[in-house]
Amino acid sequence: MSLIAEVDLSVELGRGLQLRNPIMVASGTFGYGVEYGDVVDVERLGAICSKGTTLRPRVGNPPPRVTETPAGMLNSIGLQNPGVDAVLERYAERWAGWRVPVIVNVAGESVEDYVEVARRLDGQPGVAGIELNISCPNVGKGGLQFALDAEAAAHVTEAVREATELPLMVKLSPAATDVRGIARAIEQAGADAISAVNTLSGMALDRHARRPLLGNTYGGLSGPALKPVALRVVFEVAQVVRIPIVAIGGIGSLDDVLDFMFAGACAVQVGTAVFADPVLPLRLIDELAEWCRGEDLASPRDVVGVALPERRARPSTKGVEYRP
Amino acid sequence: MKLFAAELLETVEFLPGQWLQTYAAPALAQATKPGQFVHLRTPDYSGLVLRRPFSINTYDRRAGVISIHFRVTGKGTEWLAHMRPGETAQLLGPLGRPFEVDRRSRHLLLVAGGLGMAGVRSLADEAVAGGRQVTMLFGAASATEVYPSSLLPDEVEYVVATDDGSFGHAGRVTELVPRFEAWADQCFACGPMPMLAALAQLSRGREKRLGVARLGRRGGAREQPLGSPAARRGAWLQVSVEQNMGCAVGACLGCVIMGTKGPQRVCREGPVFAAEEIAWEGWR
Repeated sequence: MSLIAEVDLSVELGRGLQLRNPIMVASGTFGYGVEYGDVVDVERLGAICSKGTTLRPRVGNPPPRVTETPAGMLNSIGLQNPGVDAVLERYAERWAGWRVPVIVNVAGESVEDYVEVARRLDGQPGVAGIELNISCPNVGKGGLQFALDAEAAAHVTEAVREATELPLMVKLSPAATDVRGIARAIEQAGADAISAVNTLSGMALDRHARRPLLGNTYGGLSGPALKPVALRVVFEVAQVVRIPIVAIGGIGSLDDVLDFMFAGACAVQVGTAVFADPVLPLRLIDELAEWCRGEDLASPRDVVGVALPERRARPSTKGVEYRP
Repeated sequence: MKLFAAELLETVEFLPGQWLQTYAAPALAQATKPGQFVHLRTPDYSGLVLRRPFSINTYDRRAGVISIHFRVTGKGTEWLAHMRPGETAQLLGPLGRPFEVDRRSRHLLLVAGGLGMAGVRSLADEAVAGGRQVTMLFGAASATEVYPSSLLPDEVEYVVATDDGSFGHAGRVTELVPRFEAWADQCFACGPMPMLAALAQLSRGREKRLGVARLGRRGGAREQPLGSPAARRGAWLQVSVEQNMGCAVGACLGCVIMGTKGPQRVCREGPVFAAEEIAWEGWR
């Protein structure tokens, strides 16, 4: 018999962005929150991260755009979206009527693009926050992803920070050589939270045609195959930043949610698993509350980071198997 | 669109590697229209990350059942083929836009290539029930893959073509179309993209070539905006297309094909399109 009557699942992601529970849905897997219609009671979710939104409309990549891979999938949508103005016009009013906060995921090819999108989102009813997708090529800098370079990541974060009062979450790439340096730079540049991780670049072949399967050749790997990578990144980042961390990467069960919380995440985003089971995020909310009751915990906040070492652990860049 | 836990009632390998499965899903059968599909989830322990889309092959509102037709081509269909009656599958549906038959259409030409039969199969039932005349042209690689005529309504005229000439017309199913195109008020097709592209080519300029009137266009009826049900209803050729799919509800933009007006989601704007809505370049 649990002593806990009511578990407090609420989470604060900085700048007053309050989530009623830590189960969010990840950008790109849930559209603009309206597509699942009656199948999912979206207002019960902790938060919704919208489809990636850019300044101008984008038609996206040539098909095919998705394929299943061992324990995961690849996608190369190419940020197809109608542009920030059309997104606001079509959805902001609906969002404003929801209890669930909608965090608009923002992508761009230049710092100016990101800043302009942030400006247009600033102060719009229905927009609860911004998640910066910095795994985009910085066209001005020869196409290197912002997320792979601490200086570029900090620069874009800082510029967006100055352009908006909205809560700002920055999404890390799992491909960074030293994710700790990048996370620190993003924190210092004024981010309110960090989400980790984006997809990892991969590819698949069409065996009959003997050529790349995806129309865009490369795609982002997501799903259970990515979980150990995401867990490592969250574990490393949690040791070097103080801002809240939101974990993403192959979350499909309560065990996954708990792993990421133990590793230092205060909330999670369910992504690829939504495709197989659209109501999974809602079930995870109930399962997390039930687990807390079973553990006599008033809030899952009490277990955030319990798996972190007392003294800072060696970074993964120091080698995985070889110990000097 | 709803989530259903549907019991598998019957599973038959009716052709080598090809299966027909019947599921108990009364509400789904009730809501389905010809051309729509379900997104099916294989069991949890299959370890598969994505659902699989299947055309609703047939539906029986009175019996409360639907059937799907698939070929074992990969892990998902392999799992499915191993399911036994009594097991349940998670279905999301009905999804997508249906075929639109103009109420004035008396003669329907259905063209199916291989597994494309599943895409137009329920339209045959619906059309026959509505008192329309139906001719089904079916193409397969060889006689061993020919859909049994006994599984079609008696009223359907069934004409078969095989690539190797082992049954029916020797050659492509599209070669049969000129025999029927003047007679047909509307044509509905499902199959490989090159087959659909060849049909689209045939249908273009059809009225002028044959000197026939198109439905609703006598006296120059108003053009309907592309993508609208009215545009599809007014089209001579409607095609049901296939694409790798993520969410199947329009959220992930994973299943697009190129349309004449940019990328179109097969799950939401499709799977049925008017031929004019698709950019056929590259498929010919």
